[in-house]
Amino acid sequence: MSGDGLLNVAGLSAGYGPIEVLHQIDFTVAEGEIVVILGANGAGKTTTMRAVSGMISRHGTVEFAGHDISGSKPDAILRTGISQVPQGRGTFTDLTVDDNLRAGGYTVKGSIEDDLERWYELFPRLSERRNQKAGSLSGGEQQMLAVARAMMPRPKLLLCDEPSLGLAPLITKELFRVLGSLRDEFGMSLLVVEQNAGMSLALADRAYVLETGHVVATGTGDELLADDTIKEAYLGVAN
Amino acid sequence: MSLFLERLVNGLADGSIYALLALALVVVFRSTGQLNFAQGEIGTMGAFFVSTLTLTGLPVWLSIGCAMLLGFVISAGVERIVVRPIEHRNPGAVIVALIGVFLGVNQVVAMIWGVDARSLPSVFPDDADDFVTIGGAPIRIARLGIIGVLIVVLFLLWLMFNKTKVGLAMRAVANNQESSNLVGIRVGSILVVGWGLAGAIGVLAAAMLAPSAGLTGTLMLGPFLLASVAAVLGGLDSPVGAVVGGLIIGLTEAFIVGYVDFLGADMLFPVMLVILLVVLLLRPSGLFGSERVERV
Repeated sequence: MSGDGLLNVAGLSAGYGPIEVLHQIDFTVAEGEIVVILGANGAGKTTTMRAVSGMISRHGTVEFAGHDISGSKPDAILRTGISQVPQGRGTFTDLTVDDNLRAGGYTVKGSIEDDLERWYELFPRLSERRNQKAGSLSGGEQQMLAVARAMMPRPKLLLCDEPSLGLAPLITKELFRVLGSLRDEFGMSLLVVEQNAGMSLALADRAYVLETGHVVATGTGDELLADDTIKEAYLGVAN
Repeated sequence: MSLFLERLVNGLADGSIYALLALALVVVFRSTGQLNFAQGEIGTMGAFFVSTLTLTGLPVWLSIGCAMLLGFVISAGVERIVVRPIEHRNPGAVIVALIGVFLGVNQVVAMIWGVDARSLPSVFPDDADDFVTIGGAPIRIARLGIIGVLIVVLFLLWLMFNKTKVGLAMRAVANNQESSNLVGIRVGSILVVGWGLAGAIGVLAAAMLAPSAGLTGTLMLGPFLLASVAAVLGGLDSPVGAVVGGLIIGLTEAFIVGYVDFLGADMLFPVMLVILLVVLLLRPSGLFGSERVERV
């Protein structure tokens, strides 16, 4: 398949050792679009992320901005413009906030000072704590740091792996507002995997529902929010 | 007083050598979580290489530079060829493999250079009359030079870790390999550089020690054990700890041998182990080791 999106994924299978978690899934992300993949625990959300970013071996076609990256290594995929916010944030806990962001800019050739100031402006809390070790930040601040760090390589597409995990509702709301502004103000495309259907579907232009490694439903965010089976399964609302 | 000063400088000079070796151990431990048992032997091999090069008429400092390069290549090779392939399959087996490398390098040195002791010229003025008098004590210039080498190495390492991109990458890899991958750092290359760097520092330590200790196949055996104690004492993941630990061990050695007759040189290791035990009971992660502070 050769789609016309920024990211075109076709027949993607991946897993760990002999266990296949993801079975031949297809999805696309268009330029400037926010796409959510909704799924419960074990549905294959993280596996999808890791397969796209090249962290695990996979089969199928992954095409990004006209490049076939199906067989590329993580650092090559990053250089083509896909950056990932890993599940559990994955900040460098022993490094300062500033060094975390600088490490994020590792692949950028030339000065990254302007990038640093841009993200400090968007995340003033990080700016206040730039000389503090990342491990001493709160969960919400670490998640913001993980997003800012992932923006440092100047990606075109940001992958977010369950950004709301372990965050209080108010902080999640703030985070999703920031993710929205990355698209609105910086022209980013986003692929977000989530369990939190309410907030993520409100953010999404389009969404896919993943169950045991298969895509079982797809539609716009609003369509899925209105869907009764989705409501029941992911929002805890009975008919 | 003058005797005290002399012992102080001697203790700091020996301590500097332990500190260098402990630094090498810590650089590897931070990135890979392994204690490189072959660290001392690679140093010994480097010192023999220095002796061969100086015999061809090469200046001592240049010979040491070349030998450090050799140490870099060998140590980097150990990471790439021995440690990494085994680590994927069985992390515990790496220890055994490194002991194997220790024995192997030891034997190769004996094969190439024989078992007779050699003398290695010092890079500093080291004749009988090369000393300065401080507070009435004759302090050998070569001893001061060794302390100076430690200071220079520390400064260069600080520059590298804090002011360069590769240094930042090394700290990132030491902290979180998966995330390092995600930001585009080639973790494998960084590990190779870290091990290589440690190898070069180990060779430098051996080349500093050999002129006074005499160059034999067992040159680094004692110092390696003391440096391991120093590294654990300071905290295995702390470069500052390695240096402080090394200096403490060096000073303790000089003062015990100098002042505590009934213990003397023979009891050195037991005394060190008692010190280590006490420190670890009070501070399990060593003097400067990180007790990780993390909020979830």
